[in-house]
Amino acid sequence: MTVTTRTQEEIAARVKALESLMIEKGIMTTDAVDRLAEIYENEVGPQLGASVVARAWTDPEFKARLLEDGTKACAELGIGGLQGEDIVAVENTDTVHHVIVCTLCSCYPWPLLGLPPNWYKDPAYRARAVREPRAMLRDDFGVEIPDSKEIQVWDSSSEMRYWVIPQRQAGTEALDNEQLAALVSRDAMIGVGLVSAP
Amino acid sequence: MRPDASELGDARRRVEALLRELPVSSGDRAFDQPWELRAFAVAVAAYHAGQYEWSEFQLSLSDSIRRWEDGDGREPWSYYEHWLEALETVLAGNGVLSDASLDERSRTTLATPRNTGHHEAHRKPVAIDPARCIV
Repeated sequence: MTVTTRTQEEIAARVKALESLMIEKGIMTTDAVDRLAEIYENEVGPQLGASVVARAWTDPEFKARLLEDGTKACAELGIGGLQGEDIVAVENTDTVHHVIVCTLCSCYPWPLLGLPPNWYKDPAYRARAVREPRAMLRDDFGVEIPDSKEIQVWDSSSEMRYWVIPQRQAGTEALDNEQLAALVSRDAMIGVGLVSAP
Repeated sequence: MRPDASELGDARRRVEALLRELPVSSGDRAFDQPWELRAFAVAVAAYHAGQYEWSEFQLSLSDSIRRWEDGDGREPWSYYEHWLEALETVLAGNGVLSDASLDERSRTTLATPRNTGHHEAHRKPVAIDPARCIV
């Protein structure tokens, strides 16, 4: 087997093929693989997204570029690996709160956030995020969005991968980018969580 | 919707007991790509399903890494490519999976457009829950 000539896409396809063959043979279930992957899913990536958020908070010109063309701005920081998909940043403000979902499957801005958590793929999340986002955030995630704020729900697809720039907390002015990034959780960048206080 | 944290902790401890027996320090084992985590999970799931002894996988992984070390240094280091090679080797060795069927399925997977059966890109929010008490 020559490992060098293969692209990441080819290897990913091979892993997918291997998994599907094993599942067809009845050796394992998707659920069993999901459960194992879940143990580490937090370690693949969300820190990259968090570092981009911190940069956007502290560098208004970068933030402007990020909102203008997310894919290009992320490429400036060496974050990419996408094949034709666009990264689109949506920014939370005092008047709007954003949530991302993939209504059909589990499209996700993985170069920034790593792998989607299992609940992101759950039909319950996919349906409820669109039907009653405010109640879902409150009941399932314990996030109370004030009635004075509009909630916008963004449907990611294979072409457009949305992700959320959460609002920076007051009292974080003295923190450097690394300390700021530590406050930004994966959930905050999906829009189902808020940035933690320093 | 979320897994119970202590359950996840237990599962993690059980998996890490397996990992401790493998070559390479844990720092090199960090995942960079989603496929790496998937390959990792498939290997552990196959072991749980009794497809091979963990020591077989361990040996196969060491062999793959050794071949890389003995190489001309032009191949970039990727822990999980060795992981995948080791997994394919033990599965083929135990007659579970043939290289040919895997090659064929990989080609089919690659040839399937990513957006098959997928919706059109949405450039506006799909739902808006308006603000309620603007005074």
